[in-house]
Amino acid sequence: MASSDAALILPPGGVERGIGRSGRDFVSMVRWHLASLRMWLVTIVIVQALSGVGFVLGISLFFHHIPQSAALFVTTGVPVINLLIVGLVLGPQLVANQRTAGSYEYLQTLPVSRSVTAAAWYTVCLLCGLPAVVVSLVVGQLRYDLPLHISLMIVPAVLLTSFAGTMLGYALAHAITRPMVTLLITQMLIFIVFGFAPILFPLQRMPAWLADVNWWFPFRHMAVVMRAALTSGPNPGVSTAYAVIGVWTVVAAALAGWMLGRRP
Amino acid sequence: MSKTASDGWTFRVDNLVKHFGTVAANDGITLRVEPGEVYGLLGPNGAGKSTLVKQTIGLLKPASGRITLGSFDLVADPDAARQLCSYLPQAQMPIDSFRLREAIELSGRIRGAEMGQVRRRTAELIEALQLGEWSKTLGSRLSGGVKRLVGFCMATISPGHLVILDEPTNDVDPLRRRLLWDEIRALGAQGCSVLLVTHNVLEAEKAVDRLALIANGRLVAEGTPSSLKAADRTQMRLQVMLVPGVETPALPAWSGPPVRVGNNLVTTIAEADAPSGISWAAGLIDAGVAEEYALGAASLEDAYIRLTSDIPTDGLHGEQ
Repeated sequence: MASSDAALILPPGGVERGIGRSGRDFVSMVRWHLASLRMWLVTIVIVQALSGVGFVLGISLFFHHIPQSAALFVTTGVPVINLLIVGLVLGPQLVANQRTAGSYEYLQTLPVSRSVTAAAWYTVCLLCGLPAVVVSLVVGQLRYDLPLHISLMIVPAVLLTSFAGTMLGYALAHAITRPMVTLLITQMLIFIVFGFAPILFPLQRMPAWLADVNWWFPFRHMAVVMRAALTSGPNPGVSTAYAVIGVWTVVAAALAGWMLGRRP
Repeated sequence: MSKTASDGWTFRVDNLVKHFGTVAANDGITLRVEPGEVYGLLGPNGAGKSTLVKQTIGLLKPASGRITLGSFDLVADPDAARQLCSYLPQAQMPIDSFRLREAIELSGRIRGAEMGQVRRRTAELIEALQLGEWSKTLGSRLSGGVKRLVGFCMATISPGHLVILDEPTNDVDPLRRRLLWDEIRALGAQGCSVLLVTHNVLEAEKAVDRLALIANGRLVAEGTPSSLKAADRTQMRLQVMLVPGVETPALPAWSGPPVRVGNNLVTTIAEADAPSGISWAAGLIDAGVAEEYALGAASLEDAYIRLTSDIPTDGLHGEQ
């Protein structure tokens, strides 16, 4: 026998749009993403924290004596790495897995606006990256007795860094239809962020041309705003850095929206 | 749902065209599904069924033509398409990390229903499809058939005016398959239009009100199962189970076009030729070529084979 009529939910009378629906959808989608990561959430957070701690403590293995300024530089750069890796690398890899498993198309047909879907994913990436940021800073402080001075500017620095990284990753994830290509590109991004973006080392160590190239990309500027929010003293170029990240945020969000709304 | 509430939600596809390179995946398809109707979409692999569905739900954009649901243009307004249509894809749902009940309830919330309603309806669906023993089990530990049923519940807990089900019975055991068909019929009774994509002609024959047969991107036949079988009314179906490994034997001139899937050889013959057909099949058994045979009234599957006889037959039959 089919189920009774008592609990039937009727089809909608029309199309519901507006902020009320968006707010409810946002909460549902955050719950969906967190539940879908249930088996991996703790592992992701721990690996992120361990990699951050690894960077912070690792430099003391390279050198007998670490100047406090160098330790401060690395420790205040690690949060950028923590936040970037989740949204820029892990996000596209998860989408690649959805494509491989065949579930990607179903998720694209959920009755939730693209902007709400993206906002929910951003929130989840932020939640996954934040514990690692805190752990890395605490460990850095304990190990090197750093003169950290955390200002309220940490809020926009963290939010913008995570948002720009997540949206770039999101656009990448939805633009590339072949999972293997996504994996290769995210590997390359790790390589670029660690080795060729002045996040964990000073810009002056780079060849001039590479420093110039980095000016046009957001990673260097993310490190500038993060450092400014975590330390006292003069921080030249902060306004410019916020402006560049702001532009990248808009571009990344527009790209992500375009890729999500694309219908071949 | 009252008849009045479902009025005006007719699903229409008008002259739909979609190309992939030089291949016409949909070549001028026109069809109409009324509220409350269970409409089957049948056709061989690559016929264009999934392309039609993906354009309806907003995953693909047509080259030309219209898709409307009530007064909504689903091509121009994919947000409306996602709210007004429910979709069960052929691939399994991404529920490995979800508990069974949680996956259904969360889908209901995402589809916009209130929590109280969602809980009541989830409990009812779990009971109706006899899924209670797994209600707290993680998706990764569920069998393929149970996952399929969970997918059905996720897609239909808060149904749209158009419910699209792509091979809903895949991997489902025979008992629960019957329960599932009851639920699909109940969706129709509720006023939803159900678009059922399937390879399984025999099941479709029992479940649909009307069906369309799509081949090479075109709608080659449409009607009730009875009307499509009308041309085969004086025909009988002769089914021969061949010994594994033997070559397909030559068929008599008075038989219809043969179809072989595995060791199963099927053809049609006229009622008047039934004695000859029995003799021929018995002769195959005597010669050690066949193990058994069956002769019965022609089914929708025979009409299907007749209408698509110029199309490769691999994979036509699906699970039986």
